[in-house]
Amino acid sequence: MLDLGLAGFVAGLLALGLRRPFLWVLAYIYVDIVAPQKISWFLLASVPISLIVFVLAFGGWLALDDKRDSRFSFRQGLMVLLLCYCGYTTLVAEFPVEAATKWSWVWKALVFAIFLPLTLRTRLRIEAAALFMVLSLSAIVIGGGIKTLAGGGGYAQLSLLVNDNTGLYEGSILSTVAIASVPIVVWLAKHGTVFPPDWRVRVFAAALIFACLLIPVGTQARTGLLCIGLLAILSLRMVKRRMLYLALIGASVAMAIPFLPASYTERMSTIENHKSDQSASTRLAVWSWTLDYVRDHPFGGGFDSYLANRIRVTTLDTQSSGNTTAIEATVVEDQARAFHSSYFELLGEQGWPGLAIWLLLQFTGLWQMERVRRRWKDRDGPDEQWQAPLANALQQAQIIYLFGGAFVGIGYQPLILCIIGLQCALASYLKRVESERRRPVPRSTRVMPLPAA
Amino acid sequence: MVDYFALAVSHGLMALAAWRLMLRRELDSEPGLPDSGPGAGIDSGREKQAPARRSADA
Repeated sequence: MLDLGLAGFVAGLLALGLRRPFLWVLAYIYVDIVAPQKISWFLLASVPISLIVFVLAFGGWLALDDKRDSRFSFRQGLMVLLLCYCGYTTLVAEFPVEAATKWSWVWKALVFAIFLPLTLRTRLRIEAAALFMVLSLSAIVIGGGIKTLAGGGGYAQLSLLVNDNTGLYEGSILSTVAIASVPIVVWLAKHGTVFPPDWRVRVFAAALIFACLLIPVGTQARTGLLCIGLLAILSLRMVKRRMLYLALIGASVAMAIPFLPASYTERMSTIENHKSDQSASTRLAVWSWTLDYVRDHPFGGGFDSYLANRIRVTTLDTQSSGNTTAIEATVVEDQARAFHSSYFELLGEQGWPGLAIWLLLQFTGLWQMERVRRRWKDRDGPDEQWQAPLANALQQAQIIYLFGGAFVGIGYQPLILCIIGLQCALASYLKRVESERRRPVPRSTRVMPLPAA
Repeated sequence: MVDYFALAVSHGLMALAAWRLMLRRELDSEPGLPDSGPGAGIDSGREKQAPARRSADA
């Protein structure tokens, strides 16, 4: 039944694409995020669905779509550069087999992120891409949120749609991405035209945001908790009554704490006492190893170069009883520990040049969205209200990702690369809109104004 | 059961969104800007003759 339902949905989406080929691009976003071939046991699992949808999306654009409004931007160029560089490091990788495995999905994610802005040449397409990202993510997040409420959470225990701990189905990654998507959910609820704002949209958006906030609780990912804190701070920028907002947040936190499971509060307390926590101490040791590693390999060791590491970690556990405090030191030896940080992942795998390209790609995004936001925020036309909030939402999503990414290895996360693609598309679209408006239009060909968003 | 519910809600909304998108001409050409030309969508010519169909509450 589930197989039939998923296969029917994908087939229906692909069939609608025969009339509107752009829907194939949305279908790829869906397949990339939800991975229905992993949920399905038979029908979708037996065909290379990801490849088929990608070929349709790219072929549909190449053969049927208008390309005159498509622009290739500097940031897309950076992604091409990163793609070529990753290809080179894969060829000379220290662990060629493992590197080839990771390359097999990284190149697809990068190519799609480079391709996506070329297709997003109308306002509705930009909105549709954001909507499909959020709704696809909701397939995972809604279930995770409900299970957390029902008490089914726990570190590496929350049962998601797929339990293979890869891609978005890994707890820390899902926590970071779910929190990063909250600003986009808010934008869609306020400025969406596919589902125009009404009480049903507001109820769904509120429930989805609540589910996103529950994911770090359910997965007990400490990174997610830090991301929620950052989200609360970032939101201050756009709210009108800041004191009321702060008071509401304080009250919500105070009310929520008694309901949190004891295992969760215990695990979160290790954020400040990281020396007693092996996972956190190992991270510091791996990062230190990475810095040593790139001294000998400044151009990186290729994908999964962390497999070369061997580390010794000393954890200190403090036990107080009356006036005496006992400190117990435990030495743990470990090897092949993952980077647990996007920055060190890029540094260890792609070396200094790769990290520099990646950082440039990320920070030009923050700057680009800030420019768009400032340029559009004070405009008062009915069709000029959605641009600055979208730029703000995409910027906030990226800031949360860059913060969460410091503790989770998600340097090439496909959903985040799609958000970068959305940023490129928004900047390029608005540039085109402004230049078209500045151009004098002959009286006979004057066109109607943009509809209110 | 929870998974089925989550899948039904998310996929139902995506199906509805895809249907609504298919009916909107702004998907392929921006109405406020000079026309994207004959290549703007595979059936842009047909749509120019018919009034734009929008979803009931759009």
